[in-house]
Amino acid sequence: MKALNLQNKKRAFVTLVIFVVLLIALLVRCAWIQFVNGEELQIKAIEQQTKDKTINSKRGIIYDRNGKILAQSASVELVSVSPREIHEAGNADFVADSLAQILELDRTAVYEKITKNSSYEIIKRRVEKAPAEAIRSLMSAEDENGKTVNKLKGVYLSEDTKRYYPYGSLAAHVIGFVGADNQGLAGVELSFDNYLKGIPGRVVTAKNAIGTDMPFKYEKYINPENGANLVLTIDETIQHFVEKHLEKAVADYNVQNGAACIVMNSKTGEILAMATYPSYDLNDPFTLNSAEAQALVDSLTGEEKSKAYNDEIQKMWRNKAVVDTYEPGSTFKGITTAMALEENVVSLTDTFNCTGALQVGPHSISCWKHGGHGTVTFVQGVEGSCNPVFMTVGARVGNANFYKYYKAFGFAEKTGFDLPGEAVCAFHSTENFNEVELATSSFGQSFQITPLQLVTAYSAITNDGTMVRPRIAKELVDDSGNVIQTFDTEYIRKVISAETASTTRQILESVVTNGTSKNAYIPGFRIAGKTGTSEKLPRGNGKYIASFMGFAPANDPEVIGLLLLDEPMGDSHMGGQIAAPTFKLIFDDILRYLGVEPQYTAEELETMDLPVPNVEGLPVADVPAAFANSGLKYQIVGDGETVVSQIPKGGTALPSSSTVVLYTRETDESDVVVPDVIGCSVSETNKRITNSNLNIRISGNAEVQDGEAVASSQSPPSGTLVPKGTVVTVEFKYINVH
Amino acid sequence: MQIPKLPQGTKIKKLKNIDYTFLAVVIMLLAYGLIMVFSASSASAHYRMNDTFYFIKRQFLWAVIGLVGMYVFSVIPYKVYYKFALPALGVSAILLILVLTPLGVEVNGASRWLGFSVFTFQPSEIAKFTLIIFLAKSLADNSDMLDKFWGGFVIYLAVIGIVAGLVLLEPHMSGAMVIGGVGIVMLFAAGAKFRHFMYLLPVAGAGVAGMIIVAPYRLARFKTFLDPFSDMLGDGFQIVQSLYAIGSGGLFGLGLGQSRQKFLYLPEPQNDFIFSIICEELGFFGALLVVILFVVLIWKGIQIAMHAPDAFSSLLVTGITALIGIQVVLNIAVVTSSMPATGIPLPFFSYGGTSLFIILCGMGIILNVTRHIKK
Repeated sequence: MKALNLQNKKRAFVTLVIFVVLLIALLVRCAWIQFVNGEELQIKAIEQQTKDKTINSKRGIIYDRNGKILAQSASVELVSVSPREIHEAGNADFVADSLAQILELDRTAVYEKITKNSSYEIIKRRVEKAPAEAIRSLMSAEDENGKTVNKLKGVYLSEDTKRYYPYGSLAAHVIGFVGADNQGLAGVELSFDNYLKGIPGRVVTAKNAIGTDMPFKYEKYINPENGANLVLTIDETIQHFVEKHLEKAVADYNVQNGAACIVMNSKTGEILAMATYPSYDLNDPFTLNSAEAQALVDSLTGEEKSKAYNDEIQKMWRNKAVVDTYEPGSTFKGITTAMALEENVVSLTDTFNCTGALQVGPHSISCWKHGGHGTVTFVQGVEGSCNPVFMTVGARVGNANFYKYYKAFGFAEKTGFDLPGEAVCAFHSTENFNEVELATSSFGQSFQITPLQLVTAYSAITNDGTMVRPRIAKELVDDSGNVIQTFDTEYIRKVISAETASTTRQILESVVTNGTSKNAYIPGFRIAGKTGTSEKLPRGNGKYIASFMGFAPANDPEVIGLLLLDEPMGDSHMGGQIAAPTFKLIFDDILRYLGVEPQYTAEELETMDLPVPNVEGLPVADVPAAFANSGLKYQIVGDGETVVSQIPKGGTALPSSSTVVLYTRETDESDVVVPDVIGCSVSETNKRITNSNLNIRISGNAEVQDGEAVASSQSPPSGTLVPKGTVVTVEFKYINVH
Repeated sequence: MQIPKLPQGTKIKKLKNIDYTFLAVVIMLLAYGLIMVFSASSASAHYRMNDTFYFIKRQFLWAVIGLVGMYVFSVIPYKVYYKFALPALGVSAILLILVLTPLGVEVNGASRWLGFSVFTFQPSEIAKFTLIIFLAKSLADNSDMLDKFWGGFVIYLAVIGIVAGLVLLEPHMSGAMVIGGVGIVMLFAAGAKFRHFMYLLPVAGAGVAGMIIVAPYRLARFKTFLDPFSDMLGDGFQIVQSLYAIGSGGLFGLGLGQSRQKFLYLPEPQNDFIFSIICEELGFFGALLVVILFVVLIWKGIQIAMHAPDAFSSLLVTGITALIGIQVVLNIAVVTSSMPATGIPLPFFSYGGTSLFIILCGMGIILNVTRHIKK
């Protein structure tokens, strides 16, 4: 055998070196993968190695200011299938039949889904408890041998949540709704989504490559954080009043384009009610609320259809009070009044002469009242809503100052209100803001604002000169009712002095007591406000917006409100004729509900109802004494010695100087026919009713005077047979008001 | 275990001590390998065999059998092989041809086995050793032949090429690569001229070009190797899963037994890709330990070759050492995506009883050579 030579040794050593070098190179390569690419590879590896399941967080409840639940989430279930497993189990027909029947779905559609070439399909979201249980019972049904089998192999139930709105359409535009993934899509559901939604939790589970269970359990559970509960400033009762009256007004005055109303606490900016009519059902927000719109959509096909649906649904969801812009018209005169008083360019007793038009530059701008108001003081000018008076006063304020106040009152900016979609319109640019623009702007024309901007601006008048920011959220509370966050009153800025504000309020109150806003008068509640009638653009199309901007009580306002009727097509489109009476009905309900203490004037007290003494069973001789201090008159029928019955009954109320009819024999009771008084003046109505031996009660304004108003409704209606002494309630409405 | 009886007592004294350092490295690799086979195989054993210990039980049994074999071969004097070098190679070649006939047992489209039912073996595994023995003898005896290109170098290349070629026909690409590699290393160690190896380069280049022209899919596979993520669900799947495993390990790994990739992501993690699982569970340090152990093994092997009593034993040890070294390099290169994928097991680590048995027998041969080293 040959001996080993030196070359063999050398070569063996070189071989060693080559191997070592190669192995070190591979080790470096390994380190490169681990340390340079490691993080990225690890993330991808974990991605495939774990199942990540989201656990929904509970969405917060939305309450009204008194704790009534306006929106609430309930846990429901989601039905999904694994078409692959169904294919393996070969039970597609049974699954399709069962699911279609239990979930009330189209069988063909279900069958199509469960036979798709995929591993996951959602059959139905938000399945209520009962159908879910029906499915669950089939999943562990007993076969003929009494063995438990899953008849719905490949069908899965998982947790899902559903949002319920107990009041349906109430305050729909404020509350809004959520989408398929519980994300807020409109209203406070959208603007407070971050607070309401909470933070979803997760379960991370280890899985093997084929998705079956691991021999050990690895689970990481990250708890979901529930959303906060939101307490709104809305008062469900007030909201209800508002919506009720809006609905009635829209019907009564044939309002074509909906209506809106804002009611705000004038001191804190809390929105007590905000309504857009027509509303929609929050539990079914994707269905059009009008049959007409639905019919229009149904008549189209394809892209046109989806576009039409989209337009209609957006219109339905529009919160007119915040999103729509319009010309405020005469309601803006309150603002012009405030700026003129603040600038000291007018005094209450300044006199003006209205000829029915005013020449401004090349234009003759007319007053709403043909023939003009004649010679009036400033206060009378406001009461009569006289355009020339305001054009004159506006000119005295001057372009620069008017512009300054326009901005100061916040018309050039968003109010900062916490609902989505707030609009703001551009005012005349400074170079285009001339004599004529100033004149028209002074009485609220030629520019557009949102209803909410006007309410916010008026809060300076109600709030001693300081504007308050409107807001919808009161506080956030946790599930145990602890307050997490309180939303405080925010003041925007002081625009006018307290004195100016107070004077403006007085003037606006007299507009209601003496002027064009008489139809908003409520005895004892000191309503102040201004009507508005603005012609929509383009001019001359006969479309108007009738509005009323008011507050009460005038001396120390607590509630401020704005009502808009968009395109009234009834007998009248005038704010004073249709918006003011509706506003009055709304405020009457609200002020009584809020327990605002009435402050009656002496005159009001005089015409107030008085309690009827109960004299039934009394001897006729004692009757004069019983009526002595009652303020009421009486009439004795028959010649019996004792009063056997009386109309009206004791304890009811009658206007002073009414007559109570007392019967001494039952047989003497006789019925009379109620006369027809509709369209009659006050004195004529009085005469007709008292002549029929009936009593009259004038509903609403106690100070109605002849010539200004006519009876618009009566109860009981004419022709009814009623006992003598029965009270006939008659409603009067002012005519000839702006 | 019974010590084989030797005819004379004096001969027992002549049986010198083995190299214990080398033995220690072998035992460490074996132990490390068993631990990792258990860890890596547990998940697939659980899912596929319903017995977490399925693979480790078999591997352990084979390790014991292998240790016996190692002892036996450490006692058999290496000179025995010298005598049977040529006939042994001849028999191997016949077996390799038989495998290609219908007698060969075909698995997954490759005909690599011979035998019946449980008793099957791979002739290529035997051919590796018979080729090493033949080359050691022939090169030791005719070292001056290598000076000639046509008359020596090419003849040896032809012998190596025929054996490798027969294996390639099975087809068994990785086996052919290992055989070819071992042959080249032995030619080099025997003193073949550098110049002659240089002549091979253009031939190899032409061979690669030819292979790509014949089968253009190889180019696509090469691209997959360069960017395995481009074909994650196809050819790149295994490599991507291997990289996920290695990348997840970091410095110290997820901990022994904590591999997540072994949960059916990495196909047969106890086989060719066991190194990835080591990297995942024990991190860079686990990989470092593997490499250190192999470096020590190769270093000791080469050291033994350098001090071998004669040229034949020197080349024999070099050949067996190269056999281990080439497989280690190729295996780690494949799992780290440093070369195109091919199925090469990691010696001592990858699951496979006969493979482990043969390796340990090879170690026994080296140990026997150490008995003859003059101290």
